[in-house]
Amino acid sequence: MDVVLQQFINGVTVGGFYALIALGYTMVYGVLKLINFAHGDLCILAAFIGLTVLTSGLGGANAGALLLAAAFIVAAVAVGIAGAVLEFTAYRPLRKAHRLSAVVSALGASMLIENGIMLIWSPQVQVFPANLLPDLTWKIGSASISFVQVMIIAGSLILMAALYFYVHHTRFGTAIRAAAIDQDAARLMGINVNRVIASVFVVGPALGAVGGLFVGLYYREAYFNMGWIYGLNAFIAAIIGGIGNIPGAMLGGLLLGLFNAFAAGYVSSSWQEAITFALLIAILLVRPTGILGERVAEKI
Amino acid sequence: MSRKWIVSTLVALAFALATSAVFAANPIVIGVQAPITGQYANEGQGIEKGVKLIAKQINDQGGLLGRTIEVKTCDDGGQASQAAICARQLVNDGVLAVIGTYTSGAALAAEPIYARANVIQTSDGTSDQLTAGGYKTFFRNAPPNSAEAKFTAEYLVNGKKFQRIAVLSDHSSFAKGLSDAVVQAVKDDGGNLVYSGFITAGSQDYTAVLTKIKSVNPDVLYFSGYYPDGGLIRAQMEQLDMGATFVGGDANQNVAFAKIAGNAAKGAIIINVPSPDNLPYPEAKQFLADYKAAYGQEPPSIYTFTNADGFRAVIAAVKATQSTDPAKLIPWLHDLKDFQGLTGTFSWDATGERIGSPFTAFEIQADGSYKIVYPESATQ
Repeated sequence: MDVVLQQFINGVTVGGFYALIALGYTMVYGVLKLINFAHGDLCILAAFIGLTVLTSGLGGANAGALLLAAAFIVAAVAVGIAGAVLEFTAYRPLRKAHRLSAVVSALGASMLIENGIMLIWSPQVQVFPANLLPDLTWKIGSASISFVQVMIIAGSLILMAALYFYVHHTRFGTAIRAAAIDQDAARLMGINVNRVIASVFVVGPALGAVGGLFVGLYYREAYFNMGWIYGLNAFIAAIIGGIGNIPGAMLGGLLLGLFNAFAAGYVSSSWQEAITFALLIAILLVRPTGILGERVAEKI
Repeated sequence: MSRKWIVSTLVALAFALATSAVFAANPIVIGVQAPITGQYANEGQGIEKGVKLIAKQINDQGGLLGRTIEVKTCDDGGQASQAAICARQLVNDGVLAVIGTYTSGAALAAEPIYARANVIQTSDGTSDQLTAGGYKTFFRNAPPNSAEAKFTAEYLVNGKKFQRIAVLSDHSSFAKGLSDAVVQAVKDDGGNLVYSGFITAGSQDYTAVLTKIKSVNPDVLYFSGYYPDGGLIRAQMEQLDMGATFVGGDANQNVAFAKIAGNAAKGAIIINVPSPDNLPYPEAKQFLADYKAAYGQEPPSIYTFTNADGFRAVIAAVKATQSTDPAKLIPWLHDLKDFQGLTGTFSWDATGERIGSPFTAFEIQADGSYKIVYPESATQ
């Protein structure tokens, strides 16, 4: 039982940052039907920006919580701006072009960001300093949960709830949903669709930035090309949940994390990824639009 | 008289120009194939810097057989696919010998290409497959997996007398070869193996497999893979409150291991040939000092030294045979006996296998330094 609980904690932690990154894919797809392949790299860029803030020594050695908050805010703001710039330069000029052109542009942007990180921060593994976070561990039976895991699980749940509220209970959120259903009709209703799209490209990467910095703080290392693997996993999480559907991305992220943990823990660690992805194929065979993906299917 | 003097001066001048032109136009080209970027960039850059340092020292002393040594580097990123491209490129550049690469997979991919072109290849790759292919151009400059596995089993079973041994590997040809050999050697020594499994290198999250290992209650976890994963495994063992001792294979020896493992690094054991600082030989101390003076940093690991040893042996072969003909150099290198390397004396056998190199087990201290704990003869 304790092993089950421990695997659950392991899986939910990883699922938390998969979900945060998956939200960016799903929001962009919901509005533009575009897979933003540069999204994973934007999120990992946040880990590097956060690391730079954390090691800058601002406020001296005892700044602790304040420095950590500053790292999250700077990373989220910087990556949000990067997302907006990306939309304006790489996607907006191609909005009327063939869908494939935008995909190629997205892949190009991904390589640009990845190699930019390599040139700025060097190709070597960057290590986050120890003792950034309190070294606390709580025991539940023989299972244990550390401070950083609690922070990641709580932080991602709060952000996901906040995003859900923003999209479903604010005027601007209503505008996003309207633009997702029909851009022309939304425009006729007086919605500035360009601004809605730009906002999606700010909010998605900003949330992903928090996810990326969680990755860095949890494993305490970051390397320049890890955006690809996290982007791929989060993209898959978005698809399982039903791409274009925000609660679906959250659910997909958590499920992917749990699948990974239980496949490694109960079947075989060598087959971990094969088993995880076999399960995902099974889900997609039963529900081709993903678990919560009905509304998207109607649109296509 | 004066005309004669002018003519002879001109002749001498022309001769000098001609020889210097030959000197400049016809250097001995040495290739470096190494991961300059990517996950093992640290190691690859160390190999390149070590080779360039030795080449510069020789050039400053007038070169080799009166010719300069020119170093050409190709970045294989630690990938087999890129390694094959590098090998063809270096062969086209007309290299005499290639130093590197760091990973066994990349060395294996390049091996047949160098063999066809009669280019000497000396790599630290420790996979046993490297010397099993019968390629006469391959010379391993680090001890093979099998030697390390025997020492590891001896340490785990007879030295520390661990009762419940768990073994973890990644899927790389190097790590898998090492863990298979350790599992076999542990069984041969009568040890009790309670778990043996794999991780996917670079996936960062190992809590799931570690939770499973924790449930079989081992007193030692041996990991045969590389330091970016090893450091994380050590940190995540601490996070999961696992009491087992961590013992890492030689690829865990890197300054980044302790940084990644953080507070959990202390007490971890790594098995390898002695670390650069602990090498007792005067040549090694001199090389270490020169390296620090030239680059203002420590070499990343012992592999900077073993690859330098490969290069030094090639230089010795050129000097001894007074030739750059592979047909003369290769038999000479196969007959190499008790060569004084930076990493101890070694010989090469007919398969290009390095013979002779003492392993040690050392413990990471609170300040990140290493302390040799086994065998006892090496701790004094």
